[in-house]
Parts: sequence; C-alpha cells; structure tokens
Amino acid sequence: MSTPHVVVIGSGLAGLTAAHRLMAGGARVTLVTKGLGGLQLSQGTIDVLGYAPGRVERPLESLASLPAEHPYRTIGAEAVATALGYLTDVVVDDLLAGEAAQNVWLPTAVGAVRPTALAQPSMLGGQCVRGARFVIVGPKQLKDFHPALIAGNLARTDLPDGGRLDARPASFDLPGRDHEVDSSGLTYARALDDPAFRARFAAAVKPLVEPGESVGLPGILGLKDRNAWRALQDLIGHPIFEIPLPPPSVPGMRLNETLTNGLKAARARFILGSKVVGFAADGDVLRSVTLGEAGRQVVIAADAFVLAAGGFESGALDMDSYGVVTDTIFGLPLVGLDAPLIHGDYWGAAQPVFAAGVAVDSSMRVLDGDRVVYANLRAAGGVLAGAQRWQELSGDGIAAASAVIAADSILGGRA
Amino acid sequence: MRRLSADVVVIGGGATGAGVVRDVAMRGYSAILVDRADLAQGTTGRYHGLLHSGGRYVVSDPRSATECAEENAIVTRIHADAVERTGGLFVVTPADDLEFSDRFLRGAIDTKVPVEEISLAEAFKREPRLNPGIQRAFAVQDGSVDGWQMVWGAANSAKNYGAQILTYHEVVKIDTADGAVKAVHCVDRKTGEDVAIEAGFVINAAGAWSGRIAAMADCPDVEVVPGRGIMIAMNHRLVNHVVNRCVYPADGDIIVPVHTVCIIGTTDVKADDPDHLSIPRDEVQKMLDDGDLLVPGFREARAVHAWAGARPLVKDARVSATDTRHMSRGMSVLDHAERDGVKGLLTITGGKLTTYRLMAEHVVDQMCEQLGDPRPCRTADEAVPKSESGANYLVTHRLGEREHDRLDDQVLCECELMTKKMFVEALDEQPRGSFDDLRRQLRLGMGPCQGGFCSMRATGVALETGHIDIDRATELLRLFLKNRWIGLWPILHGEQLRQTALDNWMFHSTLNIDHLPESTQEVAL
Ligand SMILES: Cc1cc2nc3c(=O)[nH]c(=O)nc-3n(C[C@H](O)[C@H](O)[C@H](O)COP(=O)(O)OP(=O)(O)OC[C@H]3O[C@@H](n4cnc5c(N)ncnc54)[C@H](O)[C@@H]3O)c2cc1C
Ligand SMILES: Cc1cc2nc3c(=O)[nH]c(=O)nc-3n(C[C@H](O)[C@H](O)[C@H](O)COP(=O)(O)OP(=O)(O)OC[C@H]3O[C@@H](n4cnc5c(N)ncnc54)[C@H](O)[C@@H]3O)c2cc1C
Repeated sequence: MSTPHVVVIGSGLAGLTAAHRLMAGGARVTLVTKGLGGLQLSQGTIDVLGYAPGRVERPLESLASLPAEHPYRTIGAEAVATALGYLTDVVVDDLLAGEAAQNVWLPTAVGAVRPTALAQPSMLGGQCVRGARFVIVGPKQLKDFHPALIAGNLARTDLPDGGRLDARPASFDLPGRDHEVDSSGLTYARALDDPAFRARFAAAVKPLVEPGESVGLPGILGLKDRNAWRALQDLIGHPIFEIPLPPPSVPGMRLNETLTNGLKAARARFILGSKVVGFAADGDVLRSVTLGEAGRQVVIAADAFVLAAGGFESGALDMDSYGVVTDTIFGLPLVGLDAPLIHGDYWGAAQPVFAAGVAVDSSMRVLDGDRVVYANLRAAGGVLAGAQRWQELSGDGIAAASAVIAADSILGGRA
Repeated sequence: MRRLSADVVVIGGGATGAGVVRDVAMRGYSAILVDRADLAQGTTGRYHGLLHSGGRYVVSDPRSATECAEENAIVTRIHADAVERTGGLFVVTPADDLEFSDRFLRGAIDTKVPVEEISLAEAFKREPRLNPGIQRAFAVQDGSVDGWQMVWGAANSAKNYGAQILTYHEVVKIDTADGAVKAVHCVDRKTGEDVAIEAGFVINAAGAWSGRIAAMADCPDVEVVPGRGIMIAMNHRLVNHVVNRCVYPADGDIIVPVHTVCIIGTTDVKADDPDHLSIPRDEVQKMLDDGDLLVPGFREARAVHAWAGARPLVKDARVSATDTRHMSRGMSVLDHAERDGVKGLLTITGGKLTTYRLMAEHVVDQMCEQLGDPRPCRTADEAVPKSESGANYLVTHRLGEREHDRLDDQVLCECELMTKKMFVEALDEQPRGSFDDLRRQLRLGMGPCQGGFCSMRATGVALETGHIDIDRATELLRLFLKNRWIGLWPILHGEQLRQTALDNWMFHSTLNIDHLPESTQEVAL
C-alpha cells in the first residue's frame, strides 16, 4: 500500500500518539474526535506502572508479572520503551523528562507521593527523597491547592527510599486577575505567561522561603510559555517545582497542546467536535465511518482505522441501567463482563467494570474469541480490556504503546 | 462520667424527636434530646422529601389525609425556609384505571384535602415532560421539604427555649426503679465518655429503633417492623411539581423535586435490621421504569444517588407482617405505664414527616396528662428561627445569594453553590463534625459530581480553620468518599458511571489518595 489513509478516532494520548506515528511513517491521517481527550484533564506526566499492586520502582521490569489478560502482556516492555522514547522526541520544548525504566516519586495536591515515569521538568524538583526540604506555597485565591494539606501529609509519609522529608506550608495573597477571590488555575497560568505578573508572583513567594528549601507551587506556572517556570525560579532564587491540580490541569493542557499543534503543523486532517455515529463494513473489512455533524452526516472512507476513543470516562464504553456494557462506536465484542461489575466496598478491590473493554491481538486488532473482527481496525488506549488504570497508574503507558503498535502495524503493510 | 438532669429526656433526633423536644421546651420543661448519630440521620434523612398534601391517602387512609392537609399548611408556615411550595399533580397514566380517579376526587372532598381537576393542556403547561398519554390530571398542594433543615430548625427553636441537643450520644441503658424511669445512660461516641442523665420523664422517639429502646427499660416486645423503601435522586429537576400517579398507593409512583434534583420513590419491603438496608438493582430498575411511565425518558436520565430508609411502623396483627404499606400509617403512642407497668415512659412511632408536629403534640399532651400538669401546645403558632419572615425556600435561593457575594467569597462546591464562608461557619458550629454532618446542612457533595471537586477543597479548608489536624482531615476525606459510594454504586450506569470514572481518575490517579499515610485509628464519625 503506497499512502494509506487512516482514520484515527479520538484525541487522547492514544489517538494523538497514533496519529503522529502514522504521519511520520507517511500515512495520510484523518483524526476525528468528539471532544478533547483526557490528556488535558490529567496531571501532565506519563505513567507506565505505579502499583502492581505493591509499589513499582522499575516499571518495565514489572510488566511481565502482570496477569495474562492485562494489556501490557500483549504490548510488551519493548513497545513501551519505544513509545515513551518516541513521545519524548515528538513532544517538543523539552516538555517530558525521565525514563520508562525508572519511576520517580512526586507529590500530589493532597500530599500523597505518586510514582510516574516521565514528568515535566517543572515537576522534577519535587522528587520525594530522604532529607528533602520543601515549603509548599500557594495563593489564597486558588481553591484547588491547600499547602497545609500537602505539606502535612508529605511530612508524615514514609518515603519509598525509607526516609522522610520536611515540608511546611505557606500562602500569600495574589489574585490571578485583579480583585478576584476565586481564581482558577488556568487564570493564573495565563497570567504567569506575562513577565510582569511573574515578577509580582515571585515577589510574593520569595520572602516565604528559607535557605535550603525547595518551593512546591501549584501546577499553574505558565501555559504557552514553556520557560515561564524557569524564569520564575530565577526570580525566586530557590529551586521550585509544580504540583499538578485536579482538572482543568495546566500541565495536561501543555502536553495536549504540544501534541495537537504538532499534528496540525504536519497537516493531519483534524476534525474536532464530530461524533462517529455509524460505520460501513464488508465482511471483515471496515470501509468507512459516518460522522454526525450539525444537520448532516459525513462519510469518511479509509484503508485502516484506529479506535482510540477511550473507555467509560469518554463515553466510548457505556453501561446501561440493566448492566449491559457496550462499545458505543462499533458495537465490538467486549471482555471482562463477569458479574458483579460493581461492588459496594469503596476502599476494597478495584471495580471490575472499569477493566471491561476489547481484547486485541499482538498488532492491536480487535478479537472476538480467536477471530479478528475487522482486519483493518486496531484499538488503542482506554478501550483495551484488562487494566485498572487509575489504581495501577498504567493508563498513559498502555495508551502510548498500544498506539505505537497499532500505527506501526498499519504502516508495516498489515492493514 | 458526665452527669446531667432534665425534666424530660427525648431519645431520637429524627423529625419526631425534634418535634417533641421543641414542644416540651416551649411548654416550659427542661429538656435534653439525645441521638446516637447526627440529627435527621435516621429515617428522617433517608426519606422522599415530600410534604404531603394528603392526596396520597384520600382513599387508602382518610384520617391521615386530613391530618396531612392540616399539617402541610402549618409546616409550610413554621418551617418556611425548609419548604418549597412546589405544588403537586396527580395524573392518571395510560396504564392506570380511570375509575380510581373518581374515588380519588370523592375522597378528597370527604377528607377536606384541596384538589382541583385541571385540563390536560394545563397539566402539560405546568409539566411539559409528562407522559403525553395521561388521561386525567388533578392539582394538589404537595410541597417538598428538606428534612435536615426542618429538624435543625425545630432543634434550634428548642435550644432557644433552653433545651440541650446532644448528637452522637447513644442510649445504652435506661434505669428504672420503683416502677418508674429514673435515668438514661448514653455514650458520647465522639469522645467515648459515659453520660448519665437523670430524667423525670422519657419520650422514646427512636423510630425504627424504638423497640430496642423500650426493651432497655424492661418493656419487651414493642415490635416495630422496618419497611424498607428506596429512593433515587436524578441529576435534574425533570419535574418542578410533585408528580403522583393517581392510583392506590403503590411502588415508584411519586417524583418529588427537591433542591436541584428530583427524587423517585419508593418501594416497601420488610427488613430485618434498620441498620442494614439494601438497595437492590432490580428495585432500582423498577424505580427507573416507573419513572418512565410518568416522564418518558426518565430511565435514560442520569441518576446521581440512591438511599434507603426504614418506615417505623408498629406491627398490627390485622395485616400480614410482610406487607407494611397496608398497616396504619397513623401515629401510635405506647403508654408503658399501662402496657408494662413502667411509669414516666412513652413511645411514639409511625406517622410521617409531614405530621411530625402533630405527633409531638399528641405525645406531649399525653405526658402532661400523666403528670397532671396540663400546659397548652404552642408549636403551630410560632415559626422556628430563620423562618420568621415566612418566605419559603426557592430553588434559586443560592443563585441569588451568590450573585451578591460572588466577588467576596470562593465557591467550594459549584454543583450546589456552596461557599467557603458557609462551610467555615458550619464547621465553627460543629468543629467535631464529619463532612457528612456538614453535607446534610450544606449539600456539600450532593450534586452531579458527587464530591469529585469539592471534597478535596473542603478537606483543605477544614484543616486551615485549625479545628482538626492533618490526620483527622485526611481520614474525614476518606470517610466522605466511602460514604458517598454507599449511595452511588447501586445506581451506577450511563452518565453517572462516566462521572464516576472521572472522579476516580482525579482521586486515585491524579491525587493518589489510596496511598496517603494511614491513620493509626480509623475515623468513623
Ligand atoms: C422510604 C420512605 C419514604 C418516606 N417518604 C416520606 C415523605 O415523602 N413524606 C413524609 O412526610 N414522610 C415520609 N416518610 C416517613 C418519614 O420519613 C418518617 O415517618 C419519619 O422520618 C420518621 O421520623 P422519626 O423521627 O420517627 O424516626 P427517625 O428519623 O428514624 O429517628 C429516630 C432516631 O433515633 C435514633 N436512635 C436510634 N437508636 C438510638 C439510640 N440507642 N440512642 C440514641 N438515638 C437512637 C436514630 O439515630 C434516629 O435518628 C418516608 C419513610 C420512608 C421509609
Ligand atoms: C430529601 C432528600 C434529598 C436528597 N437529595 C440528594 C441529592 O440531591 N444528591 C445526593 O447525592 N443525595 C441526596 N440525598 C441522599 C443523601 O445524600 C443521603 O444519601 C441519604 O440521606 C442517606 O443518608 P446518609 O448519607 O447519612 O447515609 P449513608 O450515605 O448511608 O452513609 C453516611 C453515614 O451513615 C452511616 N450509615 C451508613 N449506613 C447506615 C445505616 N444503614 N444506618 C445508620 N447509619 C448508616 C455511615 O456510617 C455514615 O456515617 C437526598 C436525601 C433526601 C432525604
């Protein structure tokens, strides 16, 4: 096949990675998506595996010990390493640092210590290691960042290296916009792109820091200006680091923007705001998808398709009141549906429903038992069955690696 | 051990107990109310939210119908801030027999329940989502009432008359001597302290648990059959009036708009233990299907929360014990002097939240009679604190308030428009309160995101007030999420499952709450 046309459905990490990889490999790509994906809601790091279920230090080495039905068992460590290397390359502006093989431990906005493989350089100063000295500082007008909660929990945590760290809280008064008492993280991020606001912000933080301390700040340090945090660090005169907030997440938006802009620059066709409402197939070959657009339907034919539309959170999978779980796009056969799908113990075992999804072969083609459903349809990301992504902290690695495999196998002519 | 004494000890802080303590305090007795949990955390916090017009009972229970109609007017006045005057409709759906609606009209006239037949066109004008196949419609004066607000209103009124309200005080023992009640022993569950209250008189208003209380005073065999009913709150007000099916009282036949949601209910199944009420999936499905008959599309709408309550019905040998709906819903007062030879103890159960004030009046009248000390009841004459203006609740209240203070205060819960100031004030009043205690007063975490965004903020703010330390703050957050799950998992499907996936991403992934330091002691309250 000379220049295959590939439709990628979904613009989360899986869809964006697949689209990049396909474009780079010479395919023509149409990316269709109902909305922006989960990337801009998530914390802006790339996890591979954090818990299995015990703490994971070296994620690539732990993949082989996961249960047989786990997507990583099909994906394999090599593909994960390739995918993370690829992401570090395509995500420009040095937005990601670290390595797939080794987790780092960073603070969360409630003061838990969280593992991840790749993080933004603006976060790496927050590594939770023995003897670290942190002051956690935030503006009072930001309601999603509570320094006392973060510092209080960090200071009483037994760290992965067996030690403890010092953390204390501090806060200051500075609205993200004049006279606001309730400024969002995004408002601050936009303001911090501006050197004048940065100077005011730094002037408020600086007197709160004692010698030897690193400064933990909310993950709001600039949106467009990827060096805003470095400039701020220079002004404050102490090492600083970002702690990601709940959505909308500024670090997540940075990642999302970088990947999306890269695709647009490479002239991928990007159809945002359209939902796939139908499809046509001939036997085991998928011919086209139909998009529902305002007042009309658009049919897009392609040589190959990547289903990267996510799981329950995006609406790609649905469970109705009768407990029937469906793939809302292609009606694909699903696995992991043994009842009970949900149980009443919040802090107990993971809820089975969230591991439901499609089973795939080694090139990410969707399976019905042993049979490939459509020879030219591949699935990637949240729709793959077998993972408890938020418990394992495995969602990003699965998405990126399955996307790379899907793209490569299409490019390899197996479409 | 702490020692207290009072003329009257009231056991149970649901609607009934709160009504009783207010009544005795207004009649000039010193009074103490004890509840093992927060106020209105028993059946009163697990009910349907309907301030009955009486319409539901005009055929099945005429006496209750008349009482409801009278009390509806009183409660609307004295608890203005807890009652929304939504108005109600009774509709004959395509599945219902028209014949019943004639009996309904006749019954309404006989019981003096205000009912007006309206045209179908008028019914659709009032409730555009109604099933287009309805055959007949009647307007009634149903309202909706926030049980927590109502009970706190009554309790605060009682406090103004000198009563003490002791929450999280569980009654564990009752002393009797010489054939009379002498003292009530409690454990303060927040501190573990023993509390002994010397009592002149005890009124047992422990609802579905009142048999256990009576037994503590050597009055055996008070059989209160818990009739379990489930309710489901939907994400929006799919209706703005209470919508009843015009049928003989059955399951899933009422939708009540309460605050930002509307609630479908209910079922009625005999339960063994009022502390362990299940919410079976098949009943959930039945509620959704029943809702669909009144409002097509109901089934696909988003359900946000479910709960179950236990009707405290005193067993009546005339009906089968498994069919609790057909027992008397009327109130019953047990005189333990006459029944068991124990003086100074009355048990009051049954009834409805709507008639709570009347129940209190009856039992306190009886107490006065036994004490030979007739004092008149004044509870219908005076509004409770914060209801003096007589302005009823409107669903748009908070929107109006935020319009005024949006530049001065942070909104911690966008779903329910709860501000930081509201939260801090409630916490100052109840510094040892759990987030559930505060939720019942503030609606924290009760909107579409079910705590997804506000609970972390609430934890941070609570810590910053200095009332609690990091350990308790973290444990309260855990407890809050765990308790919200009780009412979420039975209804998880469709859009709320989707929301839950987002909440899970935030809590378990972004915040990694599962790996926060563990407390040495689990915080349960
Ligand atoms: C499913 C359902 C729906 C309903 N819907 C409506 C409606 O829409 N409108 C309406 O008017 N009525 C309705 N009702 C009826 C109404 O809710 C109840 O009649 C009313 O709430 C009962 O109040 P109560 O104070 O008697 O009981 P409860 O509210 O149960 O109060 C009893 C209290 O006793 C306390 N207690 C128990 N043991 C102890 C102890 N050892 N020490 C101290 N305290 C103790 C409990 O903690 C509890 O707070 C409904 C009932 C149910 C079950
Ligand atoms: C009129 C009305 C309107 C409502 N509207 C909404 C709404 O808009 N949104 C919403 O989310 N919810 C709504 N609810 C439901 C409400 O949030 C609670 O789920 C419900 O009142 C149950 O009470 P709870 O939360 O105290 O109990 P639970 O959710 O059951 O648990 C919380 C507390 O109760 C204890 N507990 C648990 N089970 C029991 C038991 N069986 N007996 C005794 N204690 C127990 C726990 O230990 C904990 O302390 C509404 C309820 C009512 C009555």
